[in-house]
Amino acid sequence: MDCSPKLPEALMRAIAQDLGPVRPSPQPLHLALRMVPLALLVSSVILLAIGVRRDSGILGPLLTWGASAAQFVLAIALVWIAAHEGTPAARLPRQMVYAAAVAASLVVVFVTLLTFSESPGNEGLRVSPLHILDSHIPARISPWIMGFVCGIGSTLAGVILVLMFSWVFRNSLATRPTVAGTLYGAGAGLAINAGWRIACPISTPWHALGAHGAAIIATVVLGAMIGRSLGNRRLHVGARRC
Amino acid sequence: MIRYQGGSLEAFQEIYAQLAPGVRRYLSHLALGSEIADDLLQETFLQMHRSRAAYNPTYAVRPWVFGLARNVFLMNRRAARRWAAVHESREDLPEFPVLPEADRLGSQDEIRRCIAHLSPDQAEALLLHHEWGFSFEEIAGMLGISAAAARARASRGMADLRVALNNLQRAGA
Repeated sequence: MDCSPKLPEALMRAIAQDLGPVRPSPQPLHLALRMVPLALLVSSVILLAIGVRRDSGILGPLLTWGASAAQFVLAIALVWIAAHEGTPAARLPRQMVYAAAVAASLVVVFVTLLTFSESPGNEGLRVSPLHILDSHIPARISPWIMGFVCGIGSTLAGVILVLMFSWVFRNSLATRPTVAGTLYGAGAGLAINAGWRIACPISTPWHALGAHGAAIIATVVLGAMIGRSLGNRRLHVGARRC
Repeated sequence: MIRYQGGSLEAFQEIYAQLAPGVRRYLSHLALGSEIADDLLQETFLQMHRSRAAYNPTYAVRPWVFGLARNVFLMNRRAARRWAAVHESREDLPEFPVLPEADRLGSQDEIRRCIAHLSPDQAEALLLHHEWGFSFEEIAGMLGISAAAARARASRGMADLRVALNNLQRAGA
């Protein structure tokens, strides 16, 4: 008995209608490495705009640059994991994915607390971190306004980076697009946070975790939504069944 | 697959001819023999077509397509409430493939019934390895587990299958 399924006519028609040549997606590692210059560029804009935080001498190079470098590497690792999640035959063990997500959260909290313990002062509140606008804003800024500025600013930078990542990922999410989007969104948020924490002069945990953390959460949510929509566009099961 | 990515319809037909029978049986196993397997098969190849740019030539095609099929099944199961009814009717045993290793342990019907009562994880790893010939590394990549976990699932599945077959035969005797 021949039990091999016949190629349905409707499926053939659907395939034939859209059979243009496509460029193969790069491997997950190459995909992640492609994101490095983009992430570096967007996350360092704030440094170019307002410079390094004034207490960097107190923190030392390890806690200023080293901690951010570690965050950045973790961010790229999240993007790499996202690329694996989007590949049907190359998924990583679930434990590894969970561990990376937990590690990312813990690193942010740990670096925040360590920075605060080394330099708890709020010098940044007395002068505007936005030197370029110094003449236009009062000498002492409310912590709420500072939180708002950092939250909105880093969220905007994060959104730009998530959009860039989504563009690079647009043809590479064959499976689990929402999970992949969440992960590369988290990677984008972490990369932005790595840059902003070197520039932002406020060490208090409520500011670093509240304002900067909110930006990370925003990029995670945005990444998940974009991943889902990219997936729905291509993988919506049952929408156009032959 | 590379020719298919280049726009060859014949290449797609070749891929379909080679992979569709195995993918259909895999989907039939996942869907517990439900008739929806045929729909899912078409959906899988449609998704493969839409996602063909996501394929990297360094990957083997079979695990890639099987992984895609699994994802299509999971998305469909999540999307459709009717799956609740399908899962309740586990008594309607699907046409599970009979493992060559288990063939001497019992009749096809006995093996089929015993596989149906294995845990879904074990049954899936067991069949992917013994029936469809995937390596544990490939299974790990498809299921999102480590290769050691894939090996353990298949091994425990085979052990449980042996026990279940023995029990069944003893009860019959």
